[in-house]
Amino acid sequence: MQALWIITSVVFLFVLIMLINRRLLREQYSMLWLLFGVVMLILSVRVQIIDALADAVGIDYAPALLFLVGILFCVMLILHLTVIVSKLSEKVIRLTQELGILHHELHERKRSES
Amino acid sequence: MNAVITKKDSTVTGESLRQGNTSSKILIIIPAYNEEHSISHVIRDVKTHCPSAHILVINDGSKDRTREVAEANGAAVVTLPTNLGIGGAMQTGYRYAHRYGYDVAVQVDGDGQHKAEQLYLILEPVLSGKADLAIGSRFIEQTGFLSSATRRVGIKILSTIVSAMTRKRVLDVTSGFRAANKHAISVFQSDYATDYPEVDSIVLIHRSGLRTSEVAVVMDARTGGTSSINAMRSVYYMVKVTLSLFIRSLKAAKPVEVQS
Repeated sequence: MQALWIITSVVFLFVLIMLINRRLLREQYSMLWLLFGVVMLILSVRVQIIDALADAVGIDYAPALLFLVGILFCVMLILHLTVIVSKLSEKVIRLTQELGILHHELHERKRSES
Repeated sequence: MNAVITKKDSTVTGESLRQGNTSSKILIIIPAYNEEHSISHVIRDVKTHCPSAHILVINDGSKDRTREVAEANGAAVVTLPTNLGIGGAMQTGYRYAHRYGYDVAVQVDGDGQHKAEQLYLILEPVLSGKADLAIGSRFIEQTGFLSSATRRVGIKILSTIVSAMTRKRVLDVTSGFRAANKHAISVFQSDYATDYPEVDSIVLIHRSGLRTSEVAVVMDARTGGTSSINAMRSVYYMVKVTLSLFIRSLKAAKPVEVQS
């Protein structure tokens, strides 16, 4: 079981590096995912960390901590992506407006030339 | 991309530039964000010391009168509908240079820190074919405005990392005062980091099989306005740049074909 997890972590990191290599991931996002991949690899090799952390926090069923952290990470990631999408929407709206106005100016110029 | 480097303009001096003795098509790119106070001085400075060059101000979504002032001083202006930062702004300039076939593209900051009288120093290595990217360095002779102590430490650390990655000693890795030839322009117009691109671009140039050259220059402190980088952001900047250099090392290298 642990071996499967280690292999998954390694494959995940390979996929990340391939995506970065082919410029399919922007720097700021690739850093976050690399961190996630490294943490996943460390935890898969040293499973005891999760047990120790669960004990410290007072959780009986250690994997529950893993799920909790995993879910929290996903929520934060989705929230972060939502913020990014909002910014991009703002930019797209502005670009669309600028383009519309430029079209108009070009059209007017062509009309006055003919 | 195949191109021929010819040894034109082999003797470039401050005087020869001021007299307009150059057959090369030079574009001076001035990225500016809210620089209405310093932009006219910068444009006039460049016109005095390099009158044959074309000046392109990249108005990076300024909220003040940067565009009006720049146009009033006779510079061509590209106004970006939304602020992109120094990386996006400079890449706009490189795209323009690439599209309109300029031989050299020079970066001169809109805040007045770069002195136009030293343009010949960074143009010489590029025009004579010795380098594809010439960087004006404050730290070769350690004269002029050298930035704050904290930033100098940060720059030294980054310099060590970049020198190790490129296997060539580079000192002033954050200097924006640089000249790029057609090969470097073709690289930058398609790949230029949006955040803190000065450092990343040095590694990118080397991985593209091109050459950099560092020349000693003197820089001024800002003439007006406020900097977008302050002391508190320096540490954050350091961490981000180091990580982005690591990411750059993972990206596939695309060597540029050069015929000579």
